[in-house]
Amino acid sequence: MMSPRLSQAIDFLKARQNPDGGWGYADGRASLVEPTGLCAIALGAADGAAGEAGRGLAFLKSCQKASGAVGIGPRDEDGGWMAYAALLAFHALGAGPEEQRLKDWILGFEDASGRFSKEEVAIVAERYRYDASIPGWSWIPRTTAWVEPTALFILALRRAGVPATEKRIRSGVELILDRRVRSGGWNFGNPSSKSYELEASTMSTALALAALGAAGIPESRSAVGAGLRFLKDMLGRDVSTASLAWALLALKSFPAGASSVAGVADRLSRLQATDGGFRGNPFETSLAYLVLSDAPGLVALPGAGR
Amino acid sequence: MSRQGVSRREFMRLAGTSALSAWPAAALAGGLPQAAQQTAPGPFLQVALVPCPDYGPETLAAAIRTGWRSSRPPDVRGKRVVVKPNMVDVSPDRPIHTDPRLIEALVAHLADLGAREIVLAEATSHNRDAEDLFRRAGYEALARRQGVRIVDLNYDDLTPVKCVNPKATLLREIALPRTIGEADILISVPKMKTHKLAGITLSLKNMFGILPGMVYGWPKNTLHWNGIPLSICEINGTVKTHYAVVDGVVGMEGHGPIMGTARKAGVLVMGDNALAVDATAARVMGVDPARVDYLAMAHKLRLGSVRPADIQVAGGAIDRFRSDFVLDPEYAQLRMVP
Repeated sequence: MMSPRLSQAIDFLKARQNPDGGWGYADGRASLVEPTGLCAIALGAADGAAGEAGRGLAFLKSCQKASGAVGIGPRDEDGGWMAYAALLAFHALGAGPEEQRLKDWILGFEDASGRFSKEEVAIVAERYRYDASIPGWSWIPRTTAWVEPTALFILALRRAGVPATEKRIRSGVELILDRRVRSGGWNFGNPSSKSYELEASTMSTALALAALGAAGIPESRSAVGAGLRFLKDMLGRDVSTASLAWALLALKSFPAGASSVAGVADRLSRLQATDGGFRGNPFETSLAYLVLSDAPGLVALPGAGR
Repeated sequence: MSRQGVSRREFMRLAGTSALSAWPAAALAGGLPQAAQQTAPGPFLQVALVPCPDYGPETLAAAIRTGWRSSRPPDVRGKRVVVKPNMVDVSPDRPIHTDPRLIEALVAHLADLGAREIVLAEATSHNRDAEDLFRRAGYEALARRQGVRIVDLNYDDLTPVKCVNPKATLLREIALPRTIGEADILISVPKMKTHKLAGITLSLKNMFGILPGMVYGWPKNTLHWNGIPLSICEINGTVKTHYAVVDGVVGMEGHGPIMGTARKAGVLVMGDNALAVDATAARVMGVDPARVDYLAMAHKLRLGSVRPADIQVAGGAIDRFRSDFVLDPEYAQLRMVP
């Protein structure tokens, strides 16, 4: 059951909705797709906020182009990574036609994997120890794919009912596994640079694990097990609000994470300010709300069916 | 993946044509042209080289005062000043980011001079967890102590700005954070480092970090596809840096900008023309600036000069400060001939 404190997050979000129906990353900032997507889902899952959720959804629909693409805001013609949040919202709030067009666009989203020559793929393999020919998702179309946008799109596609056997999801999973830091966890997507292993980070690892969990990759896979160990180790340190929320989602995605969930949830809850928000940031507030409340728009618990 | 190979070919192609004539002068932050023009024979740019053996508060305060006086600093009285450090990542073992003690001393100096508002701004380049990085870098604590605002430029409101290069493609319209667009004075405060994709990284390269990740990605891969030298020049040609302070107290050599090792140079390099500051800092590092692709390109585009004859260096001969940084073997050709 949701705590009264957590429900204050909804009041925080309601009070910070922009006149155009969207939300920015801070009070008074321009509306953008990522914060609006998650805020709309949070409000749609709460009691007495259907109007605000509907206006958020309308903003997201206004950002969709004829191609189905969704970018960072209404002026973005090319589409990009924030489309993941629009897909989650379209699905959670029942915008069927927009959801289908966006799914099709995301599944056709091209990264740079097809643009590299064999020689360039070989150079990347030698210098950075990854396979640049594996298609995933990039932040911006037609550039190099990285771990976080690939994870975000896998997560959204799976929540929107796309099967894990779908070709792009399988390829995205392959990319994430290929880009793992050998000693455990993930960073933005360069596991090595020449002879140096680059360090993994909490946020990238949490997102990668949440995506692998959503794609049904079991914790018995060594990369998942090592990632979970890395994540738990990092949680022993100071962790940012957003990383803590994504880490909680990752832990909820695997049975092996279950023992850590209550402690991390409590830690995240304690970051809520007296105004109901998290760091005054609508995106982080909605993310924390969704993960703490197990909102089905974002969270799918193991064994609960997807 | 970087497109360094492509960018070099592109550079050579451009360098072989008349395409590198000066771009029209940009007039963004502060409303002044970026390009520095020689109006009389002799040095027309001024750079201060200041010994700074450690990060003690008194040492730093004195060094900044000296460097400020010996260069051509901007008038910051009553102005909104944005300080842009270099925070590509943070490590307890390696000096990746601009030392917070230097930033704090600079902020205190600007406040003493009467700056109306001082903002510490950065768009982290591949780890997008800015809350974590600002905290671990020590910037959050210094901002609290000094009463200045920190802005994560990755998620700032945006102002579209037309690129100064009429032939620009990927950066034809630059998505500029509002914090940068509204700055009266922009100060670049990089770490003196070698760089695996650019040879060295100083105040011009530091300006990659004003572009928002939400538009250009983490890392800012669009800039790599555009070509690193060209991106550096297009950004710096469009957005004016009013002053630069290079943190060379302890820099990084080898496999920078992240995996290198500490190298003490014991110096601050300061001035109002970022290219002249970078050229001077390069010489301190034992690097010939004319051999660094993006510095050579910026020189051709008249964003300043790398020529010793054009730069008056206050504080002593560069040789006195020279400390040859270990270069990545791929960039061995950048080494300055003694």
